[in-house]
Amino acid sequence: MFVARSIAADHRDLIHDVSFDFHGRRMATCSSDQSVKVWDKSENGDWHCTASWKTHSGSVWRVTWAHPEFGQVLASCSFDRTAAVWEEIVGESNDKLRGQSHWVKRTTLVDSRTSVTDVKFAPKHMGLMLATCSADGVVRIYEAPDVMNLSQWSLQHEISCKLSCSCISWNPSSSRAHSPMIAVGSDDNSPNILAKVQIYEYNENTRKYAKAEALMTVTDPVHDIAFAPNLGRSFHILAVATKDVRIFTLKPLRKELTSSGGLTKFEIHIVAQFDNHNSQVWRVSWNITGTVLASSGDDGCVRLWKANYMDNWKCTGILKGNGSPVNGSSQQGIFNASLGSANTSLQNSLNGSSVSRKQS
Amino acid sequence: MEKMARVTTALGGNALTGRTMFCHLDAPANAISVCRDAAQVVVAGRNIFKIYSIEEDQFVEKLNLRVGRKPSLNFSCADVVWHQMDENLLATAATNGVVVTWNLGKPSRNKQDQLFTEHKRTVNKVCFHPTEVYMLLSGSQDGYMKCFDLRKKDSVSTFSGQSESVRDVQFSIRDYFTFAATFENGNVQLWDIRRPDRYERMFTAHNGPVFCCDWHPEDRGWLATGGRDKMVKVWDMNTTRAKEIYCVQTIASVARVKWRPECKHHIATCSMMVDHNIYVWDVRRPFIPSAMFEEHKDVTTGIVWRHLHDPYFLLSGSKDSTLYQHIFKDASQPIDRANPEGLCYSLYGDLAFAAKESLISSDSNRKPYIGDRRHPIFFKRKLDPTEQFEYISSSSALSVFETDVESGSMDWFVHTAKQYALAGRPLAELCDHNAKVAKGLDRNQVAQTWTMLRIIYSSLGTVSSTNLNHSMGKGSTTLPLMNSFNLKDIPSGLGSESRLDRSKGESRTENILMDSSSTLINNEDNEETEGSDVPADYLLGDVEADEDDLYMMDHENPHAEEQEYSLPQEAFPLRHEIVDNPSALDHLQDKADSPHVSGNEAETVSLTPVESFSLISISHSLYENRLPSDFFNPIVRDTLLFYAEQGDVQTAVSVLIVLGDRIRKEIDEQTQEHWYTSYIDLLQRFQLWNISNEVIKLSTCRAINCLNQASTTLHVNCSNCKRPMSNRGWICDRCRQCASMCAVCHHVVKGLFVWCQGCSHGGHLQHIMKWLETSSHCPAGCGHLCEYT
Repeated sequence: MFVARSIAADHRDLIHDVSFDFHGRRMATCSSDQSVKVWDKSENGDWHCTASWKTHSGSVWRVTWAHPEFGQVLASCSFDRTAAVWEEIVGESNDKLRGQSHWVKRTTLVDSRTSVTDVKFAPKHMGLMLATCSADGVVRIYEAPDVMNLSQWSLQHEISCKLSCSCISWNPSSSRAHSPMIAVGSDDNSPNILAKVQIYEYNENTRKYAKAEALMTVTDPVHDIAFAPNLGRSFHILAVATKDVRIFTLKPLRKELTSSGGLTKFEIHIVAQFDNHNSQVWRVSWNITGTVLASSGDDGCVRLWKANYMDNWKCTGILKGNGSPVNGSSQQGIFNASLGSANTSLQNSLNGSSVSRKQS
Repeated sequence: MEKMARVTTALGGNALTGRTMFCHLDAPANAISVCRDAAQVVVAGRNIFKIYSIEEDQFVEKLNLRVGRKPSLNFSCADVVWHQMDENLLATAATNGVVVTWNLGKPSRNKQDQLFTEHKRTVNKVCFHPTEVYMLLSGSQDGYMKCFDLRKKDSVSTFSGQSESVRDVQFSIRDYFTFAATFENGNVQLWDIRRPDRYERMFTAHNGPVFCCDWHPEDRGWLATGGRDKMVKVWDMNTTRAKEIYCVQTIASVARVKWRPECKHHIATCSMMVDHNIYVWDVRRPFIPSAMFEEHKDVTTGIVWRHLHDPYFLLSGSKDSTLYQHIFKDASQPIDRANPEGLCYSLYGDLAFAAKESLISSDSNRKPYIGDRRHPIFFKRKLDPTEQFEYISSSSALSVFETDVESGSMDWFVHTAKQYALAGRPLAELCDHNAKVAKGLDRNQVAQTWTMLRIIYSSLGTVSSTNLNHSMGKGSTTLPLMNSFNLKDIPSGLGSESRLDRSKGESRTENILMDSSSTLINNEDNEETEGSDVPADYLLGDVEADEDDLYMMDHENPHAEEQEYSLPQEAFPLRHEIVDNPSALDHLQDKADSPHVSGNEAETVSLTPVESFSLISISHSLYENRLPSDFFNPIVRDTLLFYAEQGDVQTAVSVLIVLGDRIRKEIDEQTQEHWYTSYIDLLQRFQLWNISNEVIKLSTCRAINCLNQASTTLHVNCSNCKRPMSNRGWICDRCRQCASMCAVCHHVVKGLFVWCQGCSHGGHLQHIMKWLETSSHCPAGCGHLCEYT
């Protein structure tokens, strides 16, 4: 069951991204108003804005946290064609006393000639690395060779994807059996049938990223893409937000068979495809164990998807952004939280925990 | 002329027609200007000065004004302007400081009309008076502005800005006598054309040069300025002090601004470096351009709306030597591609969701709910009602959906991690403990797994003969329970396929039990020889635990029970055909005495939960000494793999640690390492540092084990002689004294040692803590007021 806690974000334009940190105690939001805000969770569960600053001279599309081992570090990317790395300054100051923290820009990555549409830190075991993708179809991978010096980043790889990129996702697997891998989604909406999801894998021999797979079935613009946390699985799960929600599994085929070629081949299955949002799906996000997928679409709803023991994915909950019950949707039962009077609970509660019995 | 006539009627209501098109120029353009009938455009640059007519689907070169074999510098244009009242009148600003006027009505090839060589440096801008035919204004790099009367040979008046270079001059549309001038030092000056001695008003508009300005066409007294500081600012000049009413932040220095006709709040901009695009902004939404033209390959130098009253056609010239006509419907709209939503799952299962308000409040007449303060339902920004309909919705609502304990929250993970016992006790005890923990958290499948593991691995050699009687005695009380339990559950577990006839089952269970007790007795001798050094009361407790478990199961409500038993069975993808139950039991019974049991049967047995419970009663007897537990390794391995694939790496790793060598060789090192790193990462996410450390310590993977040994060095100085301790012992090399003595008990501290950094005295953590409760002075008696952090 979910309880909606609404936050007065006070951004002056659309919020484009929300991101929790590694421990789930901090949250960062970015907006078209060119600012990023950092929110800290207090003891009683309220979120307080502890920093808000202007980060770019254009819409900020994405914000993402680095692993806390590298400090309190954020990366943002923007329409102004740059990505930036920010670090929180520790130490006593007047800001601290007012409950505000201070963030300084450590670097600006200016290689892109067009809007930088996504930025993601690589999994920790790869070191301090950062990938960006831009509207001109280039994925760039940067590395900070010295983790203590956040102002020095070297451009390690430039991958040309041919299509304007909208989102990227690192494969989070820490297994030595899985080479570093990055999935790229494209929001190219020209009427072609090119695959809009491409997967690039690092090749130890050539020391380059090369295209391992392309999901040929995805031909509509892709808005978001997310690998599920791996947690010891031998295969990878990839969620794609396009005109519907899709979940793919990628099973690496035996290494012996492919070791000559260098690249891993995958057995790709689409395990779920849902068009319940009835429109564009904008975001997908996995829970920490990679068992529940949340998606949000143009219908203003968040839908939760979970697989049962037979690996059938089903909708397990619908959350309406404003807390009101979902109208006219037949596929879920509305369960109300039992707090307060019937009326308030109807307003407050979201039918998150209700397990739909619908066979989709 | 026919065409001209048609286009001119566009004023009367017929829209302009055309498409997005371009033509190649011979040279980079510096500026463009359009004829008032919207049918011709003039392009000027260092090496180009041409007039093109704008046809339906192409530009056609009409006239080349660069004539003569050796074009003088007068043809090198920085700016060009076409008079809005006289179709034949053009003016250019030359880079050598000359202002030239051109008369297209001249019959000769050379259309040059007048030449004003008064400025000393490049003229940046020329501007005709909007209503006065003969009045021309120029602004130059030399800091002067000059006003010319085209009927006279020289300038009428000269205005000195008293500051740096003039970048732009623009006659006001509203006030006949007023013009605005922008300067490289960031100032904007307003002048009265009649008073050349002093500016009327001056204000600082930008940081750094102000490159351009544009009066609002609907004479509202609005002036837009653009500067190198990447800003476009809109000033209200009606008030005594110029008031900034809008500010648009662009991504590069602003070279040109042009208000969009017929759209009160729209303005087009282009940049002079880095950015080649043309943007059209709604100044009320200053962060995202409402339209964007991306055609140019190099810096756009001139933009002009094709017609004074048509908002859909924009012409532009660029350094890439092209002239473009842009159509609004072909513009890319960044806002459409912008993501209106953000969504993130937190560690604890909370969901943060930010969405455009218009998406989530589609039923707009719904009144904002004002609920209790603890759970404010939804923050709705109060919009100005007059603005609401015309304004594009551009705010997002942010909310966090918090899970409560029962559903999506990850509390179970934290509790499990905290409560699991992974080492330090006998295997059976660990398994039982962990099974209990799992059960307490309603994770019955995991509990079942632990119980099965206990049975598989711990029955060997743990039963000592002295305890046998105990277990027998206890067992006998358990038996009836077992009996009823089995009877009740076998049918539900098996489903309809193999219905068990009640009486048959009863007799069989009795048989087993009988058999087991007899075997137990028979095996007594063996037990003795194998007798382990398990504490005497250990097994007793063990059996009790079992008993408890059974009671628990039995008393649970039928519904829960059903779920409980159907779950594990269906959770396994059917790797093996489940042979129907009775026969399996028969097999067990029959082969109890024979040392070889086929793998299939054994697997079958352990797969169905019902049977595993039967095993509780018979395991002691049947499998003791006969079936090596290695035998089950493949199944256990598959179980662990299954959990890992399901995302429950916790169970996989915990079992791996508890079983240790028993199972380790079954799973390849790389997979184990993968599990360990995944689990450790997860524990660290939940800030369970101690448990993560324990897991690292207990892990048998070398790669994991050494995680703790990386980059930790402790430098210690002797507390007596203050020199660095060189060896690892307790005695300092130099002063031959025990270095780390506890100041309270005077013994060497071999564990947690805490010391004051001021006086270097310290001791056992416990002792010092106790000491500090009563005194704040150093326990060594050195008189130091110790501080511990």
